[in-house]
Amino acid sequence: MLNKKCGGFVFAEFAIALPLLILLGYGLAIVGVEMFRLGKNQLADYVLEAEAQYVMERITHQARFAKEVKVDNDRNSIMFIYHTVNDRPAGTEIPTATGKNYQVFAVYDVLERQYFIPRRSDDDSFYENINAKRIDDGNLTNPITGENFFGNTKIISLQFKELNNNVLHISLEMESLITERRIKLNTAVFMPNCDTKEGLRRD
Amino acid sequence: MNRLQNILRNERGYLLLNVVFLTLITSFAAMFLLNSAVRAKNPQSTLRLAAIHLANEQFAQLESLAAANDLHGGSYSFLGDKNDLNNYSFRKEDSTTSTVEKPVKFIVKANVSVNGNLRTATVTVKIDGDENFLLTMERTMRVAQ
Repeated sequence: MLNKKCGGFVFAEFAIALPLLILLGYGLAIVGVEMFRLGKNQLADYVLEAEAQYVMERITHQARFAKEVKVDNDRNSIMFIYHTVNDRPAGTEIPTATGKNYQVFAVYDVLERQYFIPRRSDDDSFYENINAKRIDDGNLTNPITGENFFGNTKIISLQFKELNNNVLHISLEMESLITERRIKLNTAVFMPNCDTKEGLRRD
Repeated sequence: MNRLQNILRNERGYLLLNVVFLTLITSFAAMFLLNSAVRAKNPQSTLRLAAIHLANEQFAQLESLAAANDLHGGSYSFLGDKNDLNNYSFRKEDSTTSTVEKPVKFIVKANVSVNGNLRTATVTVKIDGDENFLLTMERTMRVAQ
């Protein structure tokens, strides 16, 4: 094996470098696996954060101009009723601050109902997602969370209560099914036009 | 010395290949490490999200006061639900020992300045024990007469 011509350099080189090479490959494999795991978790956390934020934004925006609020404490669902146009006969001119009058073209007031309903899973053990259901002329139900390939989520709790005069307190807790991390957001929204409240608890 | 030169002259192609392969391997390893370095969990965006919602809660309370013509100038402490100041987001619950990580504690303060019918509220949110975190939001509201 070690003849005069070869001098043993390649053999010595291999004897030193091969164990190092194997160790390096092992390290790279570990780092690679960890990298993809972290990347998966990161994506799932982004999805969790984005969905929690989206739910909060939608509910607060609907609550802001709600005329009526109705909470079903058994299902943790909430319904908002709001008016899309002014309730005045057509042809009425409403004076505004700038001096120009505002013409009302609509004859009737359109009531819109917006529901946010957490949906139980098939085995009834947890809340799978939140459905938004809107009833004006049609009747459309859409899931607004969950069913995301990169980070499926579930709802831990969605609770409503009244803090003050016409201040709706909203509390949302969601969990990522991939990382099992939870995010909890609390906020409140003032509803200046709300005159009918049902099922809202105060404490 | 002469002998070593002889050996290396014979192995010139091997050394070249060795250098090429080692460069490839080390640059590959550097790419891996650089790529994984950015993937550490950064909770800052989540805390900011929670802080914005807390500030909105304070604004809702101030607006409710303004609608009742009860909003005066000066500084206000947090008027919402006091439990909301403790944030448990991204906690890990250990079911075996039933210990929960310490919450992040928010400090919410509001300052209201008066200008005729208008009240300008500035809400600042800080985190207890973190000097770098500061969120400031401002909203102008009209009081009911």
